Amino acid sequence: MPYLLIAPALIYLAMFFAYPMFQGLMLAIFDDDAALVLVDEPSLDGQEVERLTQGTRLNILGRQGNLLTDDSEGTELLTEQWFLVVGESAGGAEVSGWAPEARVRIRDEAADGTPLGGTIRPRLGAGSDEATPLLAEPNETSETVAELEQRAPVTIEEIAVLEVWFQVQASEDSSKVAGWAPSRFVEVFDDEETGRVDEGSVGEFTTGFITKMFNDSFFSDAWQTTLLLMLLILPLQFVLAMLMALVIDARLKLGSGFLYIFTLPMGMSDLAVGILFFSIFTGNGLLNSVLEAIGILDGPKTFLSADTIPWIIFAIVLAELWRATSIVMVIIVSGLQAIPRETLEAAELFGAGYWQRVRHIMLPLLLPSIQVALILRTILAFQVFAVVIALSGGDIVTVLANETYRQYFEFRNNNVASAYALFILLLSMASAFFYLRAVRAQTEVANT
Amino acid sequence: MTDSSTSISPSSLPPLDSPEVVDLHRKMKRRNLRGRLFTYASAILIALWILVPIFFVFSMAFTTEDTVRSYPKNFLPFIPFSTETMTFFLQSEGVLESLLNSIIVAVVTLVLSTIIAVPAGYAVARYLFPGRDLFRLAVLAVRAFPIVVLSIPLAVLFLRAGLFDSVWSLALMHTALAMPTTILVVSSVFASVPYELEEAGQVFGATPLQSFRYIVTPLVLPGIAASGLFTFVLSWNEVFAASVLTLENRTLPALVLTSLANSPDAFQFAGGFFLMVPSIIFMFFIRKYLFNMWGQVSK
Repeated sequence: MPYLLIAPALIYLAMFFAYPMFQGLMLAIFDDDAALVLVDEPSLDGQEVERLTQGTRLNILGRQGNLLTDDSEGTELLTEQWFLVVGESAGGAEVSGWAPEARVRIRDEAADGTPLGGTIRPRLGAGSDEATPLLAEPNETSETVAELEQRAPVTIEEIAVLEVWFQVQASEDSSKVAGWAPSRFVEVFDDEETGRVDEGSVGEFTTGFITKMFNDSFFSDAWQTTLLLMLLILPLQFVLAMLMALVIDARLKLGSGFLYIFTLPMGMSDLAVGILFFSIFTGNGLLNSVLEAIGILDGPKTFLSADTIPWIIFAIVLAELWRATSIVMVIIVSGLQAIPRETLEAAELFGAGYWQRVRHIMLPLLLPSIQVALILRTILAFQVFAVVIALSGGDIVTVLANETYRQYFEFRNNNVASAYALFILLLSMASAFFYLRAVRAQTEVANT
Repeated sequence: MTDSSTSISPSSLPPLDSPEVVDLHRKMKRRNLRGRLFTYASAILIALWILVPIFFVFSMAFTTEDTVRSYPKNFLPFIPFSTETMTFFLQSEGVLESLLNSIIVAVVTLVLSTIIAVPAGYAVARYLFPGRDLFRLAVLAVRAFPIVVLSIPLAVLFLRAGLFDSVWSLALMHTALAMPTTILVVSSVFASVPYELEEAGQVFGATPLQSFRYIVTPLVLPGIAASGLFTFVLSWNEVFAASVLTLENRTLPALVLTSLANSPDAFQFAGGFFLMVPSIIFMFFIRKYLFNMWGQVSK
């Protein structure tokens, strides 16, 4: 029974969480079309003889049609058609066999353009009197079953679409063997004799995207700023949250009103808070107006520009303090409520002042709550995003989440974006692990 | 605890009306009063710190465009009221559509995650089954994963499935994000209704379904409604996935975010107002349940 009840949630999370998460992390380390497999004959059953990486220059040695596989829809293909034709041979007998489209001139078409019949094309130049062979299968290597004179009328019974395969060899690396590959993976240059591997046919694990992320010009800025913001925000945040929690815990008159106000920012989107602080720090915003009114400034000062990066950082710190302290406060308050009143009363009885009670009784007992809040806040701190964009435009000051977004959105590079996402995930997990260890160590010290 | 106080011999204490005791009382009272005053002062300061920015943006959202551009601004309460900024915002291209999109996404997310999470929450609260702790842990882990990690692969998947740039795909993703919280909250709400009540109903002849319908449901409905509101706000606020997963069918946060660079301040402030309003309203109703939600995690 309970399994039946949790099944929908499990299935949903597997479909829309676990599976895409796995796919996403694969994007960062797996290149879908890393290499092109060359096979020994122009057929899907061919044995692999060589692998060429994407972009390899090629000499094209030969070409041949091959039956299409089903999964090729939508890709740009070089194709040729073969017709199963029926006609009268020179001897007067009715014969049938396969001929490539180049050998048949279409003279009769159905309304939708499907060829129904035609004549065998005369050959030009040398050997122009030769008959056209009809083959047993739509494949140049199959045996000849009959021959038709030029201009013999034929009816078309069946049409087969073949994909052109190329026999290619890497032109700049003579150690690579020649082999066959479907034309869809090969970009042919104008001379028709050379080309390059356009996309690979098989994927490979690669560290390429991660290297690309590390070498990205915004990367070091992004992680340094993310870390700096965390170091600035978290300590202040926990002090402020503790203060707010103590105020709530003091059970003032109007306490529920204060609780409502204190928790207001919890439901607010980071974008809205970014705009909120933009309205304060912008050139003609609240801060300048107030500073000028009380005589500190003579005219408006620009806070949010490339020349005033410390001010932008300051604004982001304030915005994050404003936005995300409530959640820490709520966690601490629920921790405070779990502390037995008797413990505090006992401490008071033995003469402990308020701050002594906070320091020696509340804080140690709050450690588990603080640990949870720390983990949560750190994970969220790696995701700071809209606040930064709203206050800096996303260029001047950048953070990891912003780079993920930019790689995906501006540069259309899913793989590097996923590499960033993977990096954020690893940092989150590492810090969660670190806190779990650190707080446990501290409780052990406290217990001894 | 009370033993420790009785162990002090009463005869060694000075009488209650002795000068030292009266003096001590006065001191404690004064210290208490000072403490109270200090607490009130902190409370009011913190409240101002939270309210002033909100008030400023709201007054910017309801004023003339000239006022938005003007400098220096008048002091706070005296910003002239006008619906000019708001009208400008609402008449801007794509705003009404994105408002509608945001509402659709949030409502679909709310319905979907509640339907799926309520049975799961009930199971966690009422049954002890092998794998229960593992399930809770998995649910917690989902909530801890960064959204950015999930958005990119989902975008790629939806793109392949032809579901890209639709409010439905975004709702699917928001449901995945919201469901863990909903499950935990719902299970804590169910846990707060003693099972004995259900049993009592059955003793008096109700079928299990009837006792669930007439006894448990009324008791848990407010809590479930609160978690639903929370889900709505979460979806309404979510900006990263919304920007990644939609292109033409933007939700409001995604629209505001992508037009930040090339929109006038008035547009941003009015957009900020709309982003904040639901949370301000809903926070009022869910504040009682906040500790339910977050007290859970630290256990």
